[in-house]
Amino acid sequence: MKMNVERVWSILTALSVFAFLLGDLKLISTFLVAVLLLSTFIKGQLVIDYFMGLKEVQPKYRIIPTLWLSIVLSLVAAAYYLPVEKL
Amino acid sequence: MPKSLSVKEPYPPGDFAIWIIVYVELVTFGFLFVGYAFSRRVHLQMFNESQLLLNTNIGFINTLLLITSSFFIVKAIQKIKTMTQYNSYESSIIASKWLLSAMIFGILFLVLKLTEFSHIFGQGITLSTNTFFMFYLLLTMFHFMHVSLGVIILFNIYQKTKRQGYSAEEYRGLDTGATYWHLVDLLWIVLFPLVYIIR
Repeated sequence: MKMNVERVWSILTALSVFAFLLGDLKLISTFLVAVLLLSTFIKGQLVIDYFMGLKEVQPKYRIIPTLWLSIVLSLVAAAYYLPVEKL
Repeated sequence: MPKSLSVKEPYPPGDFAIWIIVYVELVTFGFLFVGYAFSRRVHLQMFNESQLLLNTNIGFINTLLLITSSFFIVKAIQKIKTMTQYNSYESSIIASKWLLSAMIFGILFLVLKLTEFSHIFGQGITLSTNTFFMFYLLLTMFHFMHVSLGVIILFNIYQKTKRQGYSAEEYRGLDTGATYWHLVDLLWIVLFPLVYIIR
């Protein structure tokens, strides 16, 4: 699906407001951290695809930042959710 | 031709060198983001307590500033790409105004960040205060330096655009500067929830 940049900006803004409200209203919970990370992935991918313009380019250039985003956010999730071993 | 079979561009926008820089910066910041997340596991209480000293409002406003400035730059590029020989002056002026707006938003980001740094340093906090502030200052100051460079780049492409230095056929320099700015935006999109929100 191809979106115009106005819609992309609106989604980015809405997701940023969502993240801010989670923090400001102290609503952040274990479950909502996963939702927040997912929304961060969506925001990052929108910037990669529509602002950086990689959606219209050969996939090998797009896959690098997409993989980066996936790996970093997965590791952040792992650090958050994996149980801490007691020494 | 069906959309799925549409031909993709062979190369990303801008100079190829900027993409090497983008990938290197992503990896560098990636290590810092993951380092922060795993350090937080070990010092959970200290990270949560220290995080309360940050100003989430400023972090949020800065997010909006960067996202919107990136949007302005895309609008400037769209204007240049669609200009013709008959409206090149008007298109260049409009595009330069989009770029000027993006630059002003970038400067506002820097001013707000300096306010935040001044508040943090005013409380006697330094890199060696604790692990949270070491990561916070390292990440945000490193990012601050990138935004500063981005503003300088924006100033240069703004001036060239105003002088009608780009055309619908040749705007590679504009694309290169824009790509750097979008990188700065992308990094902040991960940094903001990680450092300011997740607890």
